[in-house]
Amino acid sequence: MKGYMLKGFAAIVISGLMSSTALAHDPIFSIGPHVLFKNGVEVAAEMESDKAGNEKEQVLALNLKYGITGDWAVGVDLPYVFKDKGYESSNGNGDFAIFTKYRFWRKDSLGLQESAAVLLKVLTDTASGNKTPSLDKGTTDTILGLTYGYEGRKWYRWASARYRFNGTNDLGIDRGDKLLLDLVGGIRPNPTGYLEPDTVWLLELNTEFGQRAELGGNDLSNTGGTEVFVSPGIFWTKRFFAIKAGIQIPVYHDLNGTQNKSDYRARLTFEWHL
Amino acid sequence: MKKKIIAGLFGLLLIQAAFAAGTHYEMRVDGLACPFCAYGIEKKLKAVDGVSDIKVDLNKGLVSVNMAEGKELSEEQMKKLFKDAGFTYRSMKKSPL
Repeated sequence: MKGYMLKGFAAIVISGLMSSTALAHDPIFSIGPHVLFKNGVEVAAEMESDKAGNEKEQVLALNLKYGITGDWAVGVDLPYVFKDKGYESSNGNGDFAIFTKYRFWRKDSLGLQESAAVLLKVLTDTASGNKTPSLDKGTTDTILGLTYGYEGRKWYRWASARYRFNGTNDLGIDRGDKLLLDLVGGIRPNPTGYLEPDTVWLLELNTEFGQRAELGGNDLSNTGGTEVFVSPGIFWTKRFFAIKAGIQIPVYHDLNGTQNKSDYRARLTFEWHL
Repeated sequence: MKKKIIAGLFGLLLIQAAFAAGTHYEMRVDGLACPFCAYGIEKKLKAVDGVSDIKVDLNKGLVSVNMAEGKELSEEQMKKLFKDAGFTYRSMKKSPL
């Protein structure tokens, strides 16, 4: 029973990892309202590294996105995960995810675009099983998101909210839902021309509120809580190619019971528009 | 006589060049803030038959192209093209090349 419980907790910790749904000039750790041009294809290779106490997780992911219209995109994330916990390591396919984003409002003016979008993402239960440490959260989760973005030639700002409905896994653990709130500012120090390399600096404030997990109607003490991160990042783009990088630095923890606090999360993305 | 023939041929060349030059279009577009996002415009315009020499001026919100002789761009076509690219088309000016 103890082994099952530990596996269950591991699955809860893994579920904290949020693969990217960012498109183009969206923030690195939160979401923005960017979509793709109609019939456009975006291919992104993403690397993520997370550390919390004695747990370390690294993810290599391939993200594919398609613009159905100029305001509506769909995509898929295909992750491969490397996980270390204490002296144990495992690796294998992570849960693939599908998502759709619809930009329902847009206000354009000279050199400025303001817009808002809704997001729906489903994280499937398809990770490699029977691994220690576990890569398998044992359930399908759903994320709903709402985001606003202001994109000017010089300044950027975004605000977003995501609610993650975490399912009940194979061990009967009702994994607590999660609310993520984000505020982001950005600056383009030198507004460059269309064919020139372009750099934008970002600063994100990412807040995560997790509910306690439950088993048989009883709260599990070492689950849930709040973490706040300050996350500097950068976009570098040239025509149809982008490099995006950022690091989440934890500045506040209020985790229930005994849990590993996040030490850092880092993300690097190479992105092409085809 | 030789000079007259050369002058005549030169004149013919000039007339041909004038008729073959095509049209320059300049579109006012709103929402152009980042170069990476504007790539969709280039991609869409390249798919239009006869378009060449695409230029995007983000600061002025201008997109300009040259059209081959006998080809035209219409307001409706540009409205749809920029909407599909994720921007708002405002107006268009055209001038002979």
